[in-house]
Amino acid sequence: MIAVENLVKRYGSFTAVDEVSLNVAPGQIHGFLGPNGAGKTTSIRIIAGLLKPTAGRIIVNGHDLAREPEAAKAALGFIPDRPFIYEKLTAGEFLRFHAGLYGMSDSDIELRIHEMLDIFELGKWQNELVESFSHGMKQRLVMSAAFLHRPKAVLVDEPMVGLDPRGARLIKDVFRRMAANGVAILMSTHTLEVAQEMCDLISIILKGKIIAHGTVTELRAMAGSPNEELTPVFLKLTGGSGLQEIDEIV
Amino acid sequence: MEGTAITRPFPFLLLPSLWASRNRARRRERGDGVRAVLFGAVGLAVMAALCYGAFWVTWQAAQYGELGDYLIRIGLSWLFLTFLSFLAFSGVVASLSTFFLSDDLRLILAAPVASRRLFLARFARTVAQAGWMVAVFLLPVLAGIGVAKCAPWSFIATATLTVAPFVVIPIALGSLTTLFLVNVFPAKRARDILMLMGLVFAISLVLLLRFLQPERLMRVESMPEVTDFFATLQSPITPLLPSFWAGEALFAGLQGGRDLLHIAALWSTAAAALVIVGWAFQRWHFSGFSKAQEVRKARFTQWRMLDRIAGLLPLSQVRKHLLIKDLKVFLRDVSQWSQLLLLVALMMVYLYNFRVLDLERIPYMSGFLKNIYAFLNLAMAAFVMSTVAVRFVFPAVSAEGAAFWIIRTAPISLRDFLWSKFWTGLVPVLLLTEILIVAGNELLGVDPFLKQMSAVAIVFMAFALVGLATGLGARYPRFAADNPSQIAGSYGGVAFMILAVLFILVMIVLLGWPSSILLLAQFRNRALTSGQELFIVAMFIAAAALSIATFILGMRTGVRALQDMDRTPS
Repeated sequence: MIAVENLVKRYGSFTAVDEVSLNVAPGQIHGFLGPNGAGKTTSIRIIAGLLKPTAGRIIVNGHDLAREPEAAKAALGFIPDRPFIYEKLTAGEFLRFHAGLYGMSDSDIELRIHEMLDIFELGKWQNELVESFSHGMKQRLVMSAAFLHRPKAVLVDEPMVGLDPRGARLIKDVFRRMAANGVAILMSTHTLEVAQEMCDLISIILKGKIIAHGTVTELRAMAGSPNEELTPVFLKLTGGSGLQEIDEIV
Repeated sequence: MEGTAITRPFPFLLLPSLWASRNRARRRERGDGVRAVLFGAVGLAVMAALCYGAFWVTWQAAQYGELGDYLIRIGLSWLFLTFLSFLAFSGVVASLSTFFLSDDLRLILAAPVASRRLFLARFARTVAQAGWMVAVFLLPVLAGIGVAKCAPWSFIATATLTVAPFVVIPIALGSLTTLFLVNVFPAKRARDILMLMGLVFAISLVLLLRFLQPERLMRVESMPEVTDFFATLQSPITPLLPSFWAGEALFAGLQGGRDLLHIAALWSTAAAALVIVGWAFQRWHFSGFSKAQEVRKARFTQWRMLDRIAGLLPLSQVRKHLLIKDLKVFLRDVSQWSQLLLLVALMMVYLYNFRVLDLERIPYMSGFLKNIYAFLNLAMAAFVMSTVAVRFVFPAVSAEGAAFWIIRTAPISLRDFLWSKFWTGLVPVLLLTEILIVAGNELLGVDPFLKQMSAVAIVFMAFALVGLATGLGARYPRFAADNPSQIAGSYGGVAFMILAVLFILVMIVLLGWPSSILLLAQFRNRALTSGQELFIVAMFIAAAALSIATFILGMRTGVRALQDMDRTPS
């Protein structure tokens, strides 16, 4: 559903994304892991059509993003790490506009908006201005928008940031349900427990390059720690213990 | 969604702005009504003045028969030439924001929106943003000209058919420039460069207009000079410019005729410009937008000198660091410090006016007038001070924005924090206005007593107005505002301006009344009676007391508001 082939992004002499290739099949949740500044967000923004790649090809639902951007984007839902929402619109107005952007028919819009607001527990906030929403509510509204037009593939950048345990549980359930219905999900995250719990496949990116790829079990084997949690495996693969001399700080 | 997707026409993309405006109007915040009435009244007054001015000038010119017609014709062409450059520049700045820097682009570009639809929506927004001011200005001016020339009703249609394509042409040109610039420079750097260019442009325009001495055109004996003056503004390329076509079309409309050739030229050029920019947008927009998203290492000045200078000041460690932080933030923000350039240019023009003011022409009255002007100078300097204070001092607390939690959680008192803001504002404001007063009075050659009185009075007024601005800025903060102009235009900012104007008026009365008694006695070579002496002293004491009270009350209000603040932005 999402095929990324040899993606490269250079800023002057700095290579942020270096020959990244990925494949996310329908119904699959693909985790995209890596330390800060590794190139996750840049890759996801290129796939979403917000950044121009220096080289490489992106195919979404059989459409080349560079050649048929509208057709490729129509099949995508995007949940950015710092989403933009019109603060002076109500949740309902925001979703209505979003539905219009994706070409949904008027007869379908209202019903679908109600459905999504109910799923994300925002029903009673439909007529409230977005500016009065908490961070978690805004996050859930953006997710309602991303799933509103029934996308075939969804890109998610750090989905759990700022969500309470109930919100996080809800999002995980929604993602699982969507995947079960055949939606391909590419999710970048720092929360390794989430990746371990939800992802069918994981790619680890470091300094712009994919350094490891496989299921959680395959990654454990790769790191030589078959019984460990994902966190020590991640630290071994990305080459740092991540632990400071805490005594020095205190 | 494939197969069943409906493509909505481009105005759909403008809906969020319309819905947001409607929601804003429905859920008004405190002070919105006052602000709307105040700004509305000022706007209407300015439009009425423009209408009357245009009417008067046209009426006067019409008295000269054919020469008058010639002047109106060239005047119109010249007016549109000015707008042509203004709109082109305004188009560059507005399209930079609408094409590349608007936050909602991240949402829209991720959606399946065709480049052509996006262009039409964004260009419509650019035209609205860049052109509304010209439309608001032209409406009363053309109305005034039309009434003075007894133009037929068809003039309204001619004006509409002329102005609409005229506005599109330079804005399209500006947008094209932006598309080029952003593909060469990063968008944020381009914005800084443009901002500076704009200021230099504005400053040159102000200086040029002033040094052309338009007042000489008002003298009856210089009537032949008027034609020379306008003739110098003409050049062989003028007939090729849309401003000339607009001037000609409107002039024909004034006479009740129709200049279809020039109107057709305007429409066809506007259509061609739209097609060219549309093509350029489809070709270069995405690469420019992508570039605008790239965060590069910012170039900036270290300003280490500031650390050294602050180190020498007799300030506590906390205040020293607050001062250094405020100054560095200010100096690294082009949109902030560049406004000072404009201010300096306006000051130069202001002082130059005093230099060319020829009061000696009026026999017997020059001494009296000079002293009147001294008070006018004091009032003007105080108004300049309140404008500078509302723009730079009032937003000082709000400028902490989401970083205000650092101050709230640090072990420093909010009193110290606010006083640091006060001193940072007071020193430059006082320096600026003291220069205006001393230099202005020197150029005017006013009475030595008034020179000294004004120089001392402005110190008191500076403490009062800067204290009031600092205090009210803390009392009505807008931590979420995008820029200082937004903060200055908020409820608190408007309240400060109203209080500042009242304060200045009362101060002028308190200082002017006793001074006039003193000067009159001097003029008549008479000694003051003891009653008069007592009155003069009492009035001066009242002026000082009012200043001190305004200053103390302002600061106290601010400190208390900060201490009582129940929510800290973060």
